[in-house]
Amino acid sequence: MAQMLVKLNVNGIEREVLVDPDDRLLDVLRDEFGYKSVKEGCGTGDCGLCTVLMDGKPVLSCIVPAFQAKNHKIVTLEGLNNDPLMKKIQDQFRAHQAAQCGFCTPAMEIMGWHLLNKKKEPNKQEIKEAISGTLCRCTGYYDIIDAIYDAGRPE
Amino acid sequence: MNVQTAEEFLTEIQKKAERGELLYIGKELKRIDDLEKVLGSPIYTNDLIPRNTLYARLVLSKYPHAIIKNISVSKAINYPGVRYVLTHKDVPGLNESSTIIPDRPLFAFNKVRSTGDIIAAVIAEKPNRAQEAAELVEVEYEQLKPVFDPVEAMKPDAPKIHDDGNIIKHVKVRKGDVEKGFQQADYIIENTFRTQHQDAAPMETETAFAVQRGEKILIIGSMQTPHHVQAAVAKVLGWTLDRIEVIQAVTGGAFGPKSDEPPYDVASIAALGAIKTGKPVLMSMTREESMIAHTKRHPAIITHKTGVKADGKLTASKVQIVLDGGAYASLGVLVIVRATFHANGPYEIPNVWNDGYKVYTNNTYTGSFRGFGAPQAIFAAESQMDEIAKKLNIDPLDLRLINMLRPGSKTSTGQLMDESCGLPECLDAVVKASDYRKKKKLYSKQDGKIRRGIGIAMLHHGNALGPEGNDYAYVHLSVEKSGKIHLGTGLTEFGTGAISGLAQIAASVLGVPIDYFTIDRPNTLVHHETGPTVASRVTVIGGNAARDAALKLKQKVLPVASKVMGCKVEDVQIVDGYVYCKEKKAKSLSWEELVKEAYEANIELNALGYYMAPSCKWDEETGLGSPYNQYTFGAAIAEVEVDTETGLYKVLNYYVAFDVGKAINPKSVRGQLYGGTVQGLGYAMMEELVHREGYVVNPNLKDYYIPTSLDIPEQIQTFIIEKQGSMGPFGAKIVAEPPVVLPGPTIRNAIMDAVGKGVNSLPITSEKVYKIIKG
Amino acid sequence: MEQPLLNRSTMIVLQPSSLKESLKLLNENPDAEIIANASDLWPRIKNGEVKPKKLLDISGLVSELSYVKKDGSSIKIGALVTVSQLEEESIFNEKRFSAFKDVIAKFGSPQIRNVATVGGNVCAASSSEDFIPLLLAFNAKVRLSSVDGDRYVNLEKFITGKRKINRRPNEILTEISFEDPGEGYISAFEKVGRRNILIINLVNMAVVGKIKDGKIEDIRIAANRIKGKIPERAKNTEEFLKGKTFNENTVAEAKKVLSEEVSLTDDIRASADYRKALLLAMLERLLFKLRGEQ
Repeated sequence: MAQMLVKLNVNGIEREVLVDPDDRLLDVLRDEFGYKSVKEGCGTGDCGLCTVLMDGKPVLSCIVPAFQAKNHKIVTLEGLNNDPLMKKIQDQFRAHQAAQCGFCTPAMEIMGWHLLNKKKEPNKQEIKEAISGTLCRCTGYYDIIDAIYDAGRPE
Repeated sequence: MNVQTAEEFLTEIQKKAERGELLYIGKELKRIDDLEKVLGSPIYTNDLIPRNTLYARLVLSKYPHAIIKNISVSKAINYPGVRYVLTHKDVPGLNESSTIIPDRPLFAFNKVRSTGDIIAAVIAEKPNRAQEAAELVEVEYEQLKPVFDPVEAMKPDAPKIHDDGNIIKHVKVRKGDVEKGFQQADYIIENTFRTQHQDAAPMETETAFAVQRGEKILIIGSMQTPHHVQAAVAKVLGWTLDRIEVIQAVTGGAFGPKSDEPPYDVASIAALGAIKTGKPVLMSMTREESMIAHTKRHPAIITHKTGVKADGKLTASKVQIVLDGGAYASLGVLVIVRATFHANGPYEIPNVWNDGYKVYTNNTYTGSFRGFGAPQAIFAAESQMDEIAKKLNIDPLDLRLINMLRPGSKTSTGQLMDESCGLPECLDAVVKASDYRKKKKLYSKQDGKIRRGIGIAMLHHGNALGPEGNDYAYVHLSVEKSGKIHLGTGLTEFGTGAISGLAQIAASVLGVPIDYFTIDRPNTLVHHETGPTVASRVTVIGGNAARDAALKLKQKVLPVASKVMGCKVEDVQIVDGYVYCKEKKAKSLSWEELVKEAYEANIELNALGYYMAPSCKWDEETGLGSPYNQYTFGAAIAEVEVDTETGLYKVLNYYVAFDVGKAINPKSVRGQLYGGTVQGLGYAMMEELVHREGYVVNPNLKDYYIPTSLDIPEQIQTFIIEKQGSMGPFGAKIVAEPPVVLPGPTIRNAIMDAVGKGVNSLPITSEKVYKIIKG
Repeated sequence: MEQPLLNRSTMIVLQPSSLKESLKLLNENPDAEIIANASDLWPRIKNGEVKPKKLLDISGLVSELSYVKKDGSSIKIGALVTVSQLEEESIFNEKRFSAFKDVIAKFGSPQIRNVATVGGNVCAASSSEDFIPLLLAFNAKVRLSSVDGDRYVNLEKFITGKRKINRRPNEILTEISFEDPGEGYISAFEKVGRRNILIINLVNMAVVGKIKDGKIEDIRIAANRIKGKIPERAKNTEEFLKGKTFNENTVAEAKKVLSEEVSLTDDIRASADYRKALLLAMLERLLFKLRGEQ
């Protein structure tokens, strides 16, 4: 079998893992590294729930072949849980009841965090655009937008 | 923190005590179970599996209707990484996976009736291998003539899908004399409306994990009703219930299919797989498997014939609903009941003749989905109202004002509405907020390519199970030595916040802040069987059980407090976690101290709360009577902007008001208003699971469009009306489902206002709008 | 008897670290499927639509193939430039390149923009790829590199059918370039689907043109469907418009010409009739946008 040894850097931890050529970064993150916050919602790159940061940019881990993730720095929500901005976002998600079933919450929080790092005090249209590639079936998006909006404002 | 005197503090407590049980009711408390969600903790079924877990993938039917001549798994079983291939031969108990009518096998064995039928499940070391091996399962079919149109399927010479005819259920409402009513009418308006297959598309698909432990099996899964899953697996394995432990894991969205047969499938397959391989097995449907094999919303063909007088008074309504039931009955047997009882809309009509049919076809099967027949029924009923208004040349609002249900009105089944009928207040709220009259006038004089329109729709929604069965619930409360209170129930949380709402109710009744409460995972071996988590009944039925449990718990601690503080039991107050005597203000205890005292006195602090709703009385033949104990009411207004050259349109503003009786947590209620509206918007504008010759053409989220953040209206204004009902705790009514019902007809009517004609089928695509404009 | 593994798990992955190495490997393995950032190819491999035995992963060639530069009057875009990177290039801030901004704003989703490459978009060769009509309207050409050297092909000739490109088995598409049309030119792009983002296009269209003193000096129009299933230029309509005075009448006439020029078919997403109506409306809108930007 054509298994490959790939060195990955995830949440600051470097590890070599053995992958099959058709393994997805999503599978490696969940099964090898144990980062379960990364979700599978569709497997075709259409729902955004598998979003992780690759060299600081949000990408869809279900359509990244595991073998391509070498030489890149991957960050999942687990790697951001101690970040003060992420804490602020998570507090706002609770305050706004923006996590209903919670399945899209990690991806939404990552997109929100990415936006707030790029742009100070974004308006609601900018937030809508930032999360436009991430689907939510429960909230209708309004409370998520409000949570990110408030997280972007000073206390 | 404010510095208060002891006096000020006690006065504050007294004021709260006076509010009695309403201490936390109506407060926008944070949910107590969402911290783990915002942290991305491993809490969903797929997150909990050990490393040696095996994975299952399904083999679905190649044809929509065929006899199975042979199934061969020899190639698949020899594929690298494959441990087992399950077929009907591996079922030790009953090869059945059904809810009400036992018409559906777990594994197809003699014939297939849809492309969603499960023939086999391949279990392998990696999902990829299971998927590849699934392609190697060989099935010999002899194709049969299929039927896909439910109206065709009703005919006596249609292909037989099951042993009897294709009409699964026929529901009737017969009120007054409808022919006489038509004679009294000045106008008779007839129209046919059509709706599509909608996919619930919860972000987490149907998933179950099973591991055998000696003689027992543990199943963890994403589901709405763990006790029903337990019973279903018991049937398949031929085991007694005590050997099967089912735990509901945190569930990533549900919306109905997870209360129907799909969770039985995944749990049974995982269980069988675990037993056959001796290893833990995960059966997690891929999105494609889910969108083909799980239950959808029934497409409907609904004909309305309505008689109306020139002054706008409706005299007669004749409705026929035909639901495409797909290959199997599922909970859809009950969907047609709700659809038929609500078919005429929230109006007082003296003469009614409704026929509702759920019909087998060779499309994939349809069942429970938020709204449960109401989205289809109300789309037709409310669109018909605007057609009637057009015919009479009166404003659709005025037509509704003339005929709508009010306190003192009777529904189409003859049920009397009392003062808890909040429909007038709902309509009033959205009419005022949207400035309807002014906008309507403004939009009547438009020229140019871009036109705006404003439209209304309303509903009534019978609460909870009603005619569907006994409506009861059990809620457990137990207190740890530390004072922490465990709330356990077989009712499930999957996003609505209703379970946290049960804690809010218990907290209020007990007098202890909600922070003391923790919610235990529903477990069939621990929590009493409690009926299904469906029909939005957690707050209304479960809430009464939570209240009962809290009262019972209170009765256990009051004597302890009375003894410790030396005052009468009747004088003991518990407010905000402080225990004190009404007379002797000097002595007081904290909740923790009281619990410690109780433990020392060997008083056990457990309570099992129970509630069963009064049974509903109605006639099976005529449908007349009171099929529901109380009703939720709602009204919505939408403003749209249509590009008449292309048919492209957008919803500018949406106003929605719901009479929820009593909003236990208004923030959670609004969450349902927003979420339900956007899901309804998808149903109205863009969602369509397309079947061609029985094949699902777009079983993926690439070509099946659910609304994104860029598709929502600029604003949704919500209004919570509270006209306390008779059944729920503090007068609460159900709210989680009906918001999904209104966008369809509201948007349809707004477009009609903009362009002069209405689209009578869902989804309302820009092409359909373009076509009606062109003429 | 063990069944042989199907291709997915036995794929051989070649991961060169330089363009030179890639060309050599590809020459030795012409049956290899080229994969950059896999947003288009990966789902099709996973569902079995494509069954490659070998993959040539060129995602590591970013340092060599990820550039945007002006070379004389030529704008050159390396094949591995991502859509997000394009957004950051100041060249495209010029008014005549505003169509690029239009495409980027509605391309895929924010996450997809970070991985989808211009080269990948072009090679996917289908009517769902937004960059193709845009680049056709800019008269782009592609550079195909191999051990035998470089070959330049006009984009129009490069795409020969749905998912069919004029690429020899040992060639890699390494660059897309076009002549800067110069001052006075305006461009615009629009697309329509069933919702506002992450759509399979019903219709999209790009126009590039120059209107001087009320006269249409130059005009190029490309849409995702004209005659077949791939993006093409609307040459008849362009011919009609060139040299004419820009007014409402001209636009109305141009719509008639386009109406005759297109030949569409019904499919499950829309009828031919409706797509045509959308194309005509889009033409009018984009033409007026061109004039408006003057």
